[in-house]
Amino acid sequence: MAIVAQHSKFSKIAMPVLAWVVALIFFFPIFYMLLTSFKTDADAVKPEFLFSFTPTLENYTNMTDNYDYWRFASNSVITSVSATIFALVVGVPCAYAMAFDPSRGTKDILMWMLSTKMLPAAAVLYPMIFLTKSIGLFDTHFLVIMVLSLINLPIVIWMLFTYFKDIPKDIIEAGKMDGLNTWGEIKEILIPLAWGGIASTALLTFIFCWNEAYWTVRLTTIDAATLSKLIEGNRAPEGLFFGRLSAVSTAAVGPIVVLGWFCQKQLVQGLTFGAVK
Amino acid sequence: MSNRTIPRLLQTPAVLLLLFWMLVPLGMTLFFSFIRYFLNNTRRPEWTSPSIDNWRGFGNYQYVWNQDAFWLAIQNSLLIVCSILFLTVALGIAIAVLINRSFPGRGIVRVLLISPFFVMPAVNAVLWINMLLDPVLGLQGIAVANINDVILGLRDAPLVGGFFSLWPKFEPISFRATQTSAYAVIMMVTWQWTPFAVLIFMTSLQSEDQQQKEAAVLDGAGAWSQFRFLTLPHLGRPIAIVVMIQAIFHLSLYAEIEIVSRGNGNKNLPYYIGELVNNNIGAASATGIFAVILANIVAIFLLRMVGKTLME
Amino acid sequence: MGRIVLENVSKSFGDTQVIPPLSLTIEDGEFAVFVGPSGCGKSTLLRLIAGLEEVSGGSIVIDGTEVADVPPAKRGLAMVFQSYALYPHMTVRKNIAFPLRMAKMTQSDIDARVNQAASVLNLNDYLERKPGQLSGGQRQRVAIGRAIVREPSAFLFDEPLSNLDAALRVGMRMEILELHNKLETTMIYVTHDQVEAMTMANKIVVLRAGVIEQVGSPLELYRSPRNKFVASFIGSPKMNIFEGDEAKKHNAHSIGIRPEHIDVVKSNGEWQGTVGVAEHLGSDTFFHIHNTGLSEILTVRAIGDVNLRNGDTIHLNPRADDFHRFDEKGLRIT
Ligand SMILES: Nc1ncnc2c1ncn2[C@@H]1O[C@H](COP(=O)(O)OP(=O)(O)O)[C@@H](O)[C@H]1O
Ligand SMILES: [Mg+2]
Repeated sequence: MAIVAQHSKFSKIAMPVLAWVVALIFFFPIFYMLLTSFKTDADAVKPEFLFSFTPTLENYTNMTDNYDYWRFASNSVITSVSATIFALVVGVPCAYAMAFDPSRGTKDILMWMLSTKMLPAAAVLYPMIFLTKSIGLFDTHFLVIMVLSLINLPIVIWMLFTYFKDIPKDIIEAGKMDGLNTWGEIKEILIPLAWGGIASTALLTFIFCWNEAYWTVRLTTIDAATLSKLIEGNRAPEGLFFGRLSAVSTAAVGPIVVLGWFCQKQLVQGLTFGAVK
Repeated sequence: MSNRTIPRLLQTPAVLLLLFWMLVPLGMTLFFSFIRYFLNNTRRPEWTSPSIDNWRGFGNYQYVWNQDAFWLAIQNSLLIVCSILFLTVALGIAIAVLINRSFPGRGIVRVLLISPFFVMPAVNAVLWINMLLDPVLGLQGIAVANINDVILGLRDAPLVGGFFSLWPKFEPISFRATQTSAYAVIMMVTWQWTPFAVLIFMTSLQSEDQQQKEAAVLDGAGAWSQFRFLTLPHLGRPIAIVVMIQAIFHLSLYAEIEIVSRGNGNKNLPYYIGELVNNNIGAASATGIFAVILANIVAIFLLRMVGKTLME
Repeated sequence: MGRIVLENVSKSFGDTQVIPPLSLTIEDGEFAVFVGPSGCGKSTLLRLIAGLEEVSGGSIVIDGTEVADVPPAKRGLAMVFQSYALYPHMTVRKNIAFPLRMAKMTQSDIDARVNQAASVLNLNDYLERKPGQLSGGQRQRVAIGRAIVREPSAFLFDEPLSNLDAALRVGMRMEILELHNKLETTMIYVTHDQVEAMTMANKIVVLRAGVIEQVGSPLELYRSPRNKFVASFIGSPKMNIFEGDEAKKHNAHSIGIRPEHIDVVKSNGEWQGTVGVAEHLGSDTFFHIHNTGLSEILTVRAIGDVNLRNGDTIHLNPRADDFHRFDEKGLRIT
């Protein structure tokens, strides 16, 4: 512990203080949004009411009238949950095979999958609009679900792959010796053992789906429009609606931010594909 | 025993889906990029349907290549991505080092710091451009107005009044305007992604070899030398990963650009394509192919750099 | 029953042939040990028998049935892995019961067999624990328990003791041997440790680079190694092998003599040299001897404590009957 002795007063007191200051600065916009959501639209733009005001819940109670919030929210829930489930259903078997029965091409397939993430979405925007309109899928839940799960599939497979790789191959082989078939191996061994990893993959995928703001904006109009579309489509001319806009924004991000707090650790492993431990 | 068929079968759905997802729309884009194809064209109605008869060869590419707006979009794309990368990595390292050692309330600091990452981009943009950066009603406007008031008050003060009367009146900046909207985008995305960099660098710092550091102390290394010669190299791989992942996300920024300037400000490549799609599909597709080429250049570079470390 | 016949079995991973065609028969009830340096293909061979790898050529016949199309679980074999490969999310009881559950046995049969296995292996007190709460030796026993409940026609062990500390290893060695005596079931045991092979096997199969160098009982291998590789692999300390004049005297390209077949004498030995390192173990003394005029440093094992130190001159008499002679290809000359 030679290092401890070297720490100056500066690092003992100033660094934590600085850390707190930085953290508060970073959190401030969210806090400010939360605060504004309890102001009336009129109060929200008056500097004298910046921090002291009479809080009101009217922005939240009027959310349905003002924005039809629940419709968009339920679309977000339906599409994000379904897309997450679908991506897992396709991704788990694939990652399982890659982790436990790797062939020579496995590495290349994984890299190729990752590279599909780099394909700029804008490049295929018109074909997507064209295709989906011509087969009647434009602005449907099904379309949004498929697109969301496909754009997240590479990351899902990568994350699962890194989790599965940590499971000793011997255990799967012991299962084979004991009479498990492939489905049995997945159900009896893989899923119970990788439960934590699968859950955090699901959580992250859900968050990504929820926050997605390209395809959900461009491939929907009303029926399947999600919260991203709702917020994106909302202009706030001259700050007329800061209060209600803050409320609907808070409602859109609140649950996800809280969910995110619980999967920080998994976020690191997941997004760095296990390369940073 | 069909040792190989079952693993193949398990991978097939994922591979086919992604293959379809990648090839079909991309193939169409490629096709459209070689034909004249407009959504509305009263003069030449035959151009409003995608047909091989409207073949234009590399004409669309040439057209796009000669557009200033195209080059501006590329410039903006690179400006935005590179600025964000630089800022997030620099801030990320600084903050990660700052909170690396334990102190009272570190857990809460972490939670506060990570929160912006989970805010949906649309909300991020709406929040920043309206409530924070609006030149009149946002915090920026309020702050500038207050500063001006304070200066105004100080002008009448004895002694220093003369000094303050030399000061100009501050003007708030409108970030919705052409020349500044990119900075607003850079700001808000940096706010959102710095937490991600912090999280990854912090995780990596935790695994730094403490004995190595102690040895360095015994060798007489100061805090800066330790950082420069031990910590920074240790962060090499996480930095590469942070850069790669962010590049993937930020090359396709869209919602932020749209919300900040509604088409009046700096446009990046995806936004430019989005505008062309409203009518000139041929040009939009050619631009799309350029975007793919650009992404591939970046991707090859990044995957080379990171790919090996990922596979161990 | 548990007669396992390999005929021209070969295995390649991609373009690299790990096991060239090889034939071998393991009789029912035998304790066969595959031994060889690490990377020589022992595990691969075992996994081919188990069905965890597909053969690239040849056939494997277990009790008269060609098993190429039989999945691992249906081959009537049980395997104990080096890492034990216990299911960490199941209790010991569930671990042991697992293969029986997979075989769709009734619950009462399962319980009976699990309890019986648990008492044989002294695991009764641990049945409700998870593997994570057990010591290495206990985990090993659970892994064996999971194997024996299946009442397989043969057991396959892949370096089962290499994760245990030295003392425990000797104990477990005895337990496995006792199990073999009791069950009289065929066992195939893979190890890189020739001591384990010598102490446990009825039949040792020495492998090098996927090729069987020799098959035989421990003493056959010790007494008449077929080539220089087996000669130096079996026995500890290693056999002294040298070429040159001394070998020519015996009409051979090279000759070998085991350290325990050289007697230390007071004077006038056939060989003499200077003691380098001397290892005094009490029961034995190992000398490493320089300046003998032979082509290699000589290792000698003397019984009891012989009081010679570094730098002392030592006189030696090799026992003439115990020389092993090898030709240019390293093969034994009889
Ligand atoms: N799945 C595999 N793919 C490619 N090569 C392998 C595989 N399994 C084993 N090998 C190679 O086969 C050789 C023998 O391995 P193994 O049977 O594990 O040796 P041992 O158990 O004797 O130490 C080694 O060179 C190893 O690298
Ligand atoms: Mg092995």
